Amino acid sequence: MKTADADVKRRKKTAAVAEVCSVRVGPTLFGVRICHILEIIGSARPQPVPLAPAYVGGLVHYRGDVLTTVSLRQLLGLPPKEGAQDILVIESASGNFGLLVDSVGEVLTVSSTDFEPTPATLVDHRKALLAGAYKLKDGLLVMLELDRLDPMRLGGAQAA
Amino acid sequence: MDELTREFLIESQEGLDRMERCLTELEGHPRDAALLGDIFRSVHTIKGTTGFLGFSRLEKLAHAGENLLGLLRDGKLNAEPPVITGLLQLLDGLRVILKTIEAEGNEGGGDDSALIERLMELQAPAQGMQKVRVRAGVSAAKVKDGREQENNGPKEQERASADVFISNTVLTPPPALIAESANPAPIVEPPTAPAQPDAVKPRAAVQSPAAESTLRVDVALLNRMMNLVGELVLTRNQVLQATAADPNMTLLSRRLDMVTADLRESVMKARMQPVSNIFSKMPRLVRDLTHSLGRRARLEMEGQETELDKSLLEAIKDPLTHAVRNSLDHGIEPPELRQAAGKDPEGTLRLRAVQEGSHVIIEVADDGAGIAVDKVRSKAIERGLITPERAAQLPERELLQLVFLPGFSTAAAVTNVSGRGVGMDVVRTNVEKIGGKVEIDSRAGKGTTLRLRIPLTLAIIPALIVRSLNQSFALPQAALSELVHIPPERAATAVEWIENAPLYRLRGRMLPLVFLGSLLMPGRECALDNTRDNFIAVLDADGRLFGLVVDGLADPEEIVVKPLSPVLKDIGLYSGATVLGNAELALILDPGSIAAKTGVAMSEDEESGEPADGAENNEASRCDYLLVEAGGRQAAVPLTDVLRIEQVPLSRIEYVGGRPVLNFEGQLLPVEDTGGVLAFSSQRISTALSDVEGPKEPKVVVVVCRDGNRQVGIAVSQVLDVAAGGGLFEAGTGERSSGVTLLNDRVTGVVDLGGVQVLPVVAAAPAEWNKVEETLA
Repeated sequence: MKTADADVKRRKKTAAVAEVCSVRVGPTLFGVRICHILEIIGSARPQPVPLAPAYVGGLVHYRGDVLTTVSLRQLLGLPPKEGAQDILVIESASGNFGLLVDSVGEVLTVSSTDFEPTPATLVDHRKALLAGAYKLKDGLLVMLELDRLDPMRLGGAQAA
Repeated sequence: MDELTREFLIESQEGLDRMERCLTELEGHPRDAALLGDIFRSVHTIKGTTGFLGFSRLEKLAHAGENLLGLLRDGKLNAEPPVITGLLQLLDGLRVILKTIEAEGNEGGGDDSALIERLMELQAPAQGMQKVRVRAGVSAAKVKDGREQENNGPKEQERASADVFISNTVLTPPPALIAESANPAPIVEPPTAPAQPDAVKPRAAVQSPAAESTLRVDVALLNRMMNLVGELVLTRNQVLQATAADPNMTLLSRRLDMVTADLRESVMKARMQPVSNIFSKMPRLVRDLTHSLGRRARLEMEGQETELDKSLLEAIKDPLTHAVRNSLDHGIEPPELRQAAGKDPEGTLRLRAVQEGSHVIIEVADDGAGIAVDKVRSKAIERGLITPERAAQLPERELLQLVFLPGFSTAAAVTNVSGRGVGMDVVRTNVEKIGGKVEIDSRAGKGTTLRLRIPLTLAIIPALIVRSLNQSFALPQAALSELVHIPPERAATAVEWIENAPLYRLRGRMLPLVFLGSLLMPGRECALDNTRDNFIAVLDADGRLFGLVVDGLADPEEIVVKPLSPVLKDIGLYSGATVLGNAELALILDPGSIAAKTGVAMSEDEESGEPADGAENNEASRCDYLLVEAGGRQAAVPLTDVLRIEQVPLSRIEYVGGRPVLNFEGQLLPVEDTGGVLAFSSQRISTALSDVEGPKEPKVVVVVCRDGNRQVGIAVSQVLDVAAGGGLFEAGTGERSSGVTLLNDRVTGVVDLGGVQVLPVVAAAPAEWNKVEETLA
């Protein structure tokens, strides 16, 4: 009974749909809510920063500002990719940052009824980066926890 | 908040600032009518406007102050210290309320009755004389009470006396006051001073034209303008690079270049404010501190008109306040001690601002006790800030700089003013945050000078772009003292090693080297490449000289500093990033951090001492030289003597009695031609000599120099460089040899300007190009 109740409640509450930008990193399709995205910089070559923490993907020029980018590949433990990559410019409370991904896909409209929380079996530090997943027809769209991807947060987490 | 209130706040704050300045000045000239008039006007304006805006709390307080000021201005009361203290309290009270209005939109619920009573009380002497003569005996006694307790809060006794006077005022309110409080006009007839209204009016009239030609601009807007100009500079750089090859665009891009430079300068100027904006706060601070600390000090200020970027000015306010506090608390001794030491019991605190190139120097100097170096040393060792061995090695000057370390204080007792050991640390942190530097200089018993070196502006700095790891990096020109070029053939021998610390012999002085490549990519080999040119950028970071070996040099560029994410700042090598003309991003290297980072490593590996130590003595005898080439030889001309470098057509060189002269700005300039440049040039083109107007007309370079009161020219084939030359000391005797200097590692002859023949004496022996040659490295 309890589960059924919860189910009903959830359906009621979250009949809402969300627009999510899908990005590909390695074999996985990730999703970022479009309301957090300021701009997409296509095929960029960020300037590497020597001695920077590994997760820093380099610097890019964005509207007069120099943005630090976070390499999703590196965070996920994937080997670095050669050549140009796409960058999502993410709005964040502590200043904007770039998210370096293999390629940006399309904007999908997802319904929260398809949402599943992150499985408990995932390794902790990896789990923290993910917010759950949407079930799509042909696979999963793994949502990113943008707050955790902020370079400031990542820096703090690594130092701790 | 509505526009009117905002306007009122700004105006009032300005008025109060002016009032503060005048009040402290008033103490020195208690009868200065102009000052009193000024102060009166400030308070009066506030009072008038508040009535209109309905700020009754403010109005009441201002009213109380105005009454007192009115008496002062009419000469019915003397501006004695208690009165000034009271007025300063009034000022603070008004400021508090204004702040509340700014923050909350209303006056807040504070109670000012104590302050108002206090102000009433201060009026007492005058009123006592004027209006309550009957009670003269009583009031006089009570007034005395009140005066004696000027700094305390209202005590029972005082309250009693105050009550009496309040009732006086209430009983006999000047009729003008009532009418006036409802009148918002800023300049009204002063209520209690019908005698001198003229003194007020003309001044106000004079002020208005200035007000019309100036405009208040929101700082946020100025910041935005500065950012946009930064963007424009970047775009210009890119356009210039992109159009460099296209002759059609040259004119346009040159115009763009000029306009951008002009615009940049104007916007920067718009952000400039005179340092008097913060200096003016100091008299009050000094006054309050001297009173509470029992010191006597005279404040001298110099260079108040020096201008500094608004944001920088804000940033140095705290450090400067700290410095002044420190000077008064630790520096200037109590009067008895000063007298005992044979000094003027009144100490001097000197604030000085002066612009030096792209920096503004602000000095806080006192003639107090100074800092005992031994104390600093033992304290630093005691606090574990430095090892005893290291402390023994450091020269005094550097030991003094230890006071800037966090947790350092030599004050025996913690006072409420300073001594907690945070002051100097704060000073340094704040100043360094804005790219400035702090230095302290002190002589025990004589005084201390704190020198803040502040860059004129933050946003746009000249930088040299260097290459390393196939990437561009920007080196701020401010830290760059020179560039050393090492050709491939010297690459193998140029670097010397002590253990694993690379050194380069720069004019006889061992320069520690840092290889940028291996610094940024640990594990990369530290060696010069013998297949190409190598460059060492000699950097001066906080007096620490070191050479940064880079893979290559690109152009110098004006860069716009963009902040870096704190994550990257924490690496401790970069102070920011920038976008270059070719749209490439470049990290801005921070020479200070590089020195700190690598310096630590060096002293761990090998206690080689400060490599700079030995050469330090040389410093005094060093000066800059213009390196010229004439007749295939190099010679040096002291840069201070060089007036200008002229390129003149050979035909303009005329001969008087066989000696070459140049008609230079209407004066006859004897030209020295020991190198045979003139002869050589004229020989080479003797055939074309008749064709003076022709495009091929040969030109010679004449360095116009000053020799005492006269000017002489020196014909050279080429100007090579400007370099700092060190003095040379004769082996054995240690005597300084004249006529030669060490320049770019070579012993170079200095041109003897005095030896140039005086005109019109016909040429005899020309001055010698002193012997050159002989390389050291």
